[in-house]
Amino acid sequence: MSRLGAIVPVEEYLAESHVLFYLSDAVSQLLEHKEEYTQFGLIRYFAEYFSSVKNSNHVLFREFNYIRATPHNRVSFIRVFWRCFRQIGKSGELLSMQEYRSLLQLLCPDFSMEVVQSTARIVLMDDATDCLMSFSDFIYAFQLQFYYQEFLESVLAIYQDLLAGKSPNTVFVPTSASVEQLPSVAVEENDKEEQQRDGVEACMLADCVDALCDRFKHSHPSRACVREILDQTDKVSYYSFLMSLAKHETINQTIGALPSKAELFFDPEMDQELDKLIAQISVSPGSNSSGSAVGGLKEVQRRASPRRNIHHRRKMEVESDGSTEETDSSEN
Amino acid sequence: MADKEKRRSAAIPSGMSAGKATKSDSDVEFLSQAGVGELLRGAILKMVEARSDDPIGFLADHFCNLASVTDSSPAGCGDEEQMNGGPVSACAQEQQHLNRALWHLRLAHHSQRSAFSNNVRVAYDLLNISACQSQVAEAPEGPEVSCTDDPIGAGVAGGGGVRGGLYTQTLQCLCSEGGVPASTSAPLLRRLHCQDHEVVPYDVFRHGVLTCAVFSDYIRQSQKLYAEVCCPHEGPASRALCMAVLGTLKEALETSTGSDPDCCVNANNKAYTCVESNVKAIRYLEASAKISPNRLAQAMEGAQSRGPGGNMDAKEFENAAADLFITRVKVVF
Repeated sequence: MSRLGAIVPVEEYLAESHVLFYLSDAVSQLLEHKEEYTQFGLIRYFAEYFSSVKNSNHVLFREFNYIRATPHNRVSFIRVFWRCFRQIGKSGELLSMQEYRSLLQLLCPDFSMEVVQSTARIVLMDDATDCLMSFSDFIYAFQLQFYYQEFLESVLAIYQDLLAGKSPNTVFVPTSASVEQLPSVAVEENDKEEQQRDGVEACMLADCVDALCDRFKHSHPSRACVREILDQTDKVSYYSFLMSLAKHETINQTIGALPSKAELFFDPEMDQELDKLIAQISVSPGSNSSGSAVGGLKEVQRRASPRRNIHHRRKMEVESDGSTEETDSSEN
Repeated sequence: MADKEKRRSAAIPSGMSAGKATKSDSDVEFLSQAGVGELLRGAILKMVEARSDDPIGFLADHFCNLASVTDSSPAGCGDEEQMNGGPVSACAQEQQHLNRALWHLRLAHHSQRSAFSNNVRVAYDLLNISACQSQVAEAPEGPEVSCTDDPIGAGVAGGGGVRGGLYTQTLQCLCSEGGVPASTSAPLLRRLHCQDHEVVPYDVFRHGVLTCAVFSDYIRQSQKLYAEVCCPHEGPASRALCMAVLGTLKEALETSTGSDPDCCVNANNKAYTCVESNVKAIRYLEASAKISPNRLAQAMEGAQSRGPGGNMDAKEFENAAADLFITRVKVVF
């Protein structure tokens, strides 16, 4: 805490961190699961709730509206998705949009189809959205789409306006109409189909996005990054612009949910656990192994925090519940 | 606060489906019975007071702390345990109290006077309890020992106080947490510390804590000052330059003579508080003028023209700056 930064009005301070949102959600959750959560006392409950928010463990199995409610929740969810399913990506499998949606629904039962569709459009450049996508392509596009959803929607509106020849920054002065309407005149002369493919003037888009950022209330990527991308081409289409944003490392780091592409599948802890497990199973494949397998699994479950968190949330116990894990392991 | 409460209570019925009036009624009843309102109100107040950079983390810590308080055994059982467990459990409990007291002291910056004072009070009471408990276990006449060595004289009503050793430990932790290396804070602590067996009254405690807090800030600032003066890749800064900077610091400190912030409120001085506070304000203004960037630049320019006389490294600078501060601190006999 700095004494110099303390002169922020209370409402602003509270609004910035969405604290009231979390407090009211904590209370709603408490009311919905009274019996369960009052076992260990109220204070314990709030302590657990806010600790889980702080550690980004709070979004698992929550409803879609909760997950998208704050930037912190979105980041946490993206990170959880990565942690849970990066092993799939590691194997190099390509999955369809529907399959990715199913994966998402494992973590959030009512996850919106629209978000997944928009993500697929980014990866596949609006083409043939039933194509297969790699995990790393998907997850970076998903991050962009989910975290900056409002921004992307506004940019789409701007883009469509530009395509149609309406520049939001144009000033219509009645006396010199022909000069001001120059961009739209140019557009009308071109073939509309070509227009769609090539996109719009990158510098115009850059100006408009800049103006948008001035008044935009939600999170948006840094202007410098946007400028950098749009300076590289003369013309840009909406989805190629988005794909460049998705791949931009600085933007990725600013969001802070995912590592860089090179380290996307780097998970030494999990690798070690899996190796140990495989070793145990292959050494004694009989009833003897069930004990050690469960023991190994117990450790694995403890490390992979999302799993542990289910039990943690539902039962408020420190130790994982062995019986549930055995069932899980048998599914493998 | 009222609108926040409204928002909180509004969130609850809106969270349930509309039309289930009876359900939300029973919910409200459940909440008021469980004391949720009070709990959250207290948490929000503390959070707004502290204005931490990480409000969620703050709340998590706050509730965890609270949970450990209510989990640990109440004072009655505690005494028995200590009698049976001996000095070991007393130590552990003392450590716990110390940790919580430090947590409270960290909440508000010392410039936020009222918040800081409240926290110092809470911390003192926390440490006071542990002192009483351990003294009850040790000797019957423990709490009655008054601090005869205290020049300020204002004792705590009702006897008791913080054990000298615990007080010194608190100060040490404050300094090290504030980023002051042990060697730099040692001379300060020598001036402020109390013996193990002594009982520290509230005023001394507050003076010590405040001094340490200000000192940590001061050392951090002087470290930054040194970083400004010297370029790391060019090696340590020239001695003349450093001496000039230290000189201006010293001048500034001397200008604010006698205005050690709130060090001791002696009852006799109450009549003069108005006049005194005006004088203090003037002194602060003068002092801050002396260390304004212009003056500093002038001093540095003057130093450079007089020619360098060797270099001064960061540690020496820090020690010298610390020295300036410490010489002005009242010694607690």
